[in-house]
Amino acid sequence: MELKPQPGMAGTGVLERIEGRFGYATDQHHLPGLLHGAILRSRHAHARLLRVDTSRARLMPGVRAVVTAADVPGLNRFGIVVRDQPVLCEDRVRYEGDAIAAVAADTVEQARAALEVIDVDYAPLAVVDQAETAEQMSPLHGESNLLAREAFERGDTDAAFARCEVIVEHHYQTPRQMHAFMETEGGVAIPDNNGGVIFRVGCQSGHRDAEQLADILGLKPSQVTVEATPTGGAFGGKDELTIQPAAGILALQTGSPVLIHLDRFESCRTGIKRHPVSMIMTTGCDRQGRILAHRVDALLDTGAYASLGPAVLENFLDHATAPLYRIEAYSVSGRLVYTNNGVSGAFRGFGGNQATFAVESQIDALAEKLAMCPMELRRINLRTVDEPGSRGQVVRWTAPPSNVLAEAGASPLWAPAGSDLRRRWLTGTGMAMGAQGNGLGDGLPDSGGGRVSLTAEGRIRLEFGFSDYGQNLAEAITCLVCETLGCVAGDIDVVLGNSRGPDSGPTSASRSSVLIHGVLADILPRWNDCVRDQAAALTGLPRDQLHSGPGGLFAGGRQVLSYRELAEKGQPEQTLIDASQAFPVAPEGNQPVGRYLQLQISTVARVAVDRLTGRVRVTDLHHITAAGRVIYPPGYLGQIEGAAIMGLGMALSEDMPTRQGHYLADNLDQYIIPTMQDVPDQRVDVLDNTPTTDRFPVRGVGELGIEAVAPAICSAIEAATGIRVRHLPVDAGYLLAELCAQEETCS
Amino acid sequence: MSDSLSNLNPVTARRAIRVLRPDSPDQAVSLARQFSASYTAGGTWLQPTHERDQCWPETLVALNSSWPGFRGLDAGPNGLTVGALTSLAELARQALIRDYLPPLAMFLNRVAGPGVRTLGTVGGNLIVGGDLSALAMALDVRVDVINHTGERALPFSRWLRERASDDLLRGFTIPDCRGWRISLEKLGYRERFSPTRATLACVHDGDRVRLAVSGEGGLLRLVATETFVNDRADLASGDVGAVIDRELAAHGWQDAHLRMALRRMTTELLSEVALGT
Ligand SMILES: Cc1cc2nc3c(=O)[nH]c(=O)nc-3n(C[C@H](O)[C@H](O)[C@H](O)COP(=O)(O)OP(=O)(O)OC[C@H]3O[C@@H](n4cnc5c(N)ncnc54)[C@H](O)[C@@H]3O)c2cc1C
Repeated sequence: MELKPQPGMAGTGVLERIEGRFGYATDQHHLPGLLHGAILRSRHAHARLLRVDTSRARLMPGVRAVVTAADVPGLNRFGIVVRDQPVLCEDRVRYEGDAIAAVAADTVEQARAALEVIDVDYAPLAVVDQAETAEQMSPLHGESNLLAREAFERGDTDAAFARCEVIVEHHYQTPRQMHAFMETEGGVAIPDNNGGVIFRVGCQSGHRDAEQLADILGLKPSQVTVEATPTGGAFGGKDELTIQPAAGILALQTGSPVLIHLDRFESCRTGIKRHPVSMIMTTGCDRQGRILAHRVDALLDTGAYASLGPAVLENFLDHATAPLYRIEAYSVSGRLVYTNNGVSGAFRGFGGNQATFAVESQIDALAEKLAMCPMELRRINLRTVDEPGSRGQVVRWTAPPSNVLAEAGASPLWAPAGSDLRRRWLTGTGMAMGAQGNGLGDGLPDSGGGRVSLTAEGRIRLEFGFSDYGQNLAEAITCLVCETLGCVAGDIDVVLGNSRGPDSGPTSASRSSVLIHGVLADILPRWNDCVRDQAAALTGLPRDQLHSGPGGLFAGGRQVLSYRELAEKGQPEQTLIDASQAFPVAPEGNQPVGRYLQLQISTVARVAVDRLTGRVRVTDLHHITAAGRVIYPPGYLGQIEGAAIMGLGMALSEDMPTRQGHYLADNLDQYIIPTMQDVPDQRVDVLDNTPTTDRFPVRGVGELGIEAVAPAICSAIEAATGIRVRHLPVDAGYLLAELCAQEETCS
Repeated sequence: MSDSLSNLNPVTARRAIRVLRPDSPDQAVSLARQFSASYTAGGTWLQPTHERDQCWPETLVALNSSWPGFRGLDAGPNGLTVGALTSLAELARQALIRDYLPPLAMFLNRVAGPGVRTLGTVGGNLIVGGDLSALAMALDVRVDVINHTGERALPFSRWLRERASDDLLRGFTIPDCRGWRISLEKLGYRERFSPTRATLACVHDGDRVRLAVSGEGGLLRLVATETFVNDRADLASGDVGAVIDRELAAHGWQDAHLRMALRRMTTELLSEVALGT
């Protein structure tokens, strides 16, 4: 079924965001007594800090506080997985952008002027800028630059390779991609006049951030509140703390609210990026095309600090096992190394799409060697819904993989590819598949809660700890509540992202929709019973005759009590219902491995390659998605299409290369993201065979759309030109040189 | 003259810049000399350049589009005169452009983005070696320049060689090119709003072909290639590629892949102007 945008379907706030009228945390310039903060960043990618002298800065006009490492009241470290990143560096900087000092002043200009007179003496150290040789260089942390090494093995890979008729081996490289959210990192820290701090900030996990901030600020957890306000995009890039620690320290020092908002230069320089991956993949099959053996050796550059690198490595390796395909034996290993190349961390796809790019390219390479249709090769090897996942775990799909493939085969985009070299544009169509799990995975603690209540004003209030960064969770929640209670959107208030409210866990890993659906399925019937009890007591009608509906409670087809009346006359405080759920990670009693809830996508791409210049234009993308029930169509479409555009950027233009640890792009005029003119026509199909009795019919689609885009585009380029690109982003110059070489051979 | 401090922007935090607003072009020239200041037109080039370098000028001399001849288009016996302070967006809307330079209106869609086109001026674009500079070079436009020694008109290419720091560009005149065949091609990193890798302009004036390129390797009139095309070979000759490659390489176009693209773009544009397509 094709999911089509309907007029008026966009949710509330969408137009305001597009037109720049939406109020973000970084727009809170009106707060009384507001000070502006600025952070001094390292000029060097790697250096010893010999001296940080702030005396001149303290005397600058308007300056209210200048802080360095010595002023961090608690733990001078943060990091979701490994707390290895200093809030303010003590004696060493490890990337160009490491924070050294921070200033609060009456105006931003004053704060930045003060930064300029902070005297810092550096003693430059050898820069670790090559992931390949990082382990031989002197360590950035601890004993070695090897942060993590992990391997997944299945069967006897050497023996399986020995039986292969066809083996393909290639090197793949994926770029250091930047999130490029429209709202750069920022927010405000406000002293609560009781020694604590309230943060209003664009982030992805208010609760987790509150824990880390309490440690950094030397406060009790109860003294830190984080309001994860709606933010202009995150995509993983606001998963770690960004400006919060510096803003919090300055707020405590000055007793005033402090706003820090990175400009685009600072955001490019300091923000985390997608891990670049360099990998060699070897895959073999028998004469019939059955894949027997698969080997992966990967190197991920995590930059100066761990951030979520170890978890990214795990998800990368999970996807590198080729989860959609039945493979007799594999040996998949990866190393995650520290370098002075910025910091890499969470990014939509979370390592998985880098692996899928290579896996799907390998399948095409095998098919070519076998002279077999790549779709047929996939069909032969795809798992069925009854088979375990690639790591032996029980997996819950929402449709048979073969159906997802078949729908891709029926795509209208398979028009004959133009191969007439006299024409300027060479066109071709290609496809790739991808699987994406929901949840933090691999047995990591994963749970989340939510709350429903009737407010004193008679509003149905839903509270979750998730953050809104444009995915419009509030609308999705509203749809589900209306569907269950029969009420209308106007009856509902959705409150998101407050660390004082229910802890839903991080807004990441495509986990929100699953938890929201699960928690609502638990709390709404209970809440409904509760309000019907109260309504029955107030009206004298039997409870069974009462049901909730638009604006209030109904009996016999007419409203007998509005929600407001119920709140006024009843006991709304007794309608507060909380629930928390463990994220479904494995069926009852099973050991969690990898990800249990799985989604799939097939992306069909049509491209045109300019024979004159090698430039690639993606004209169409057709996604066949199997991701459970669609609860909020604009959200589903927005996630799939939006993620696909990010995948397109990764495939064609986005990269943040470094030289000696310095990023070679510093703003969006040098770092090239797709514009609307680069965005192809997209079609999203939904394939959902989830039985109505399924306990997990709703899945999270935040990352699915990016999974197969890059390999589909490269497959289409190959169909158009005969040239396979394995290093992203596609280099038009390389493509052109290959085209020219081809023409010379032909002529 | 008025004199103002630019509004301080709390977000970008740039230092105060003194913006001088002269009453006349002559006063602009003398202020530019007195303060060793740059002119600012739309400011679209200056602003990001200074922001990137974190180095703000103390003084700027703002140009005024209401000064005679500085804005708008005027068709006369010598051709089409374009005021330097005409914005790129305005240029795209002009009916006269469709008469004189039919491919330009569509092409302008690929120059920067709507915001930059609304503020950015044609003169500024020529001066910074933007996409229009290749076309101006190939068309042999004459520029009208004012400085402390007076006002003069001279070929664009000569002005670029001789330009003085206080030279104020009033406008430029395109020869009457109605009936000429003109082709333009831009290679960027994406479909729109892309930094230019190379822009190639190819003009056939009914007698000779003229070629110019701007972009990563700088602005260049492809004199050797033109000579080859006009005097020694027919337009379909495959050897033109080798000539353009040598000429580009000799003038600082180092990226071999980009030169390869330019070879092919040139051949394509040459066949377009030759065939009149
Ligand atoms: C994000 C972005 C994308 C862009 N993309 C493109 C693109 O795709 N293609 C392209 O061609 N260009 C592009 N540009 C460049 C743009 O076209 C120029 O910035 C613009 O045309 C410059 O005009 P301006 O009036 O803003 O010049 P200003 O910024 O005001 O000035 C630029 C320079 O010209 C001088 N100057 C300006 N007018 C005069 C005059 N009349 N006499 C003497 N000196 C003068 C100034 O002193 C300064 O040195 C882009 C710019 C930006 C910011």
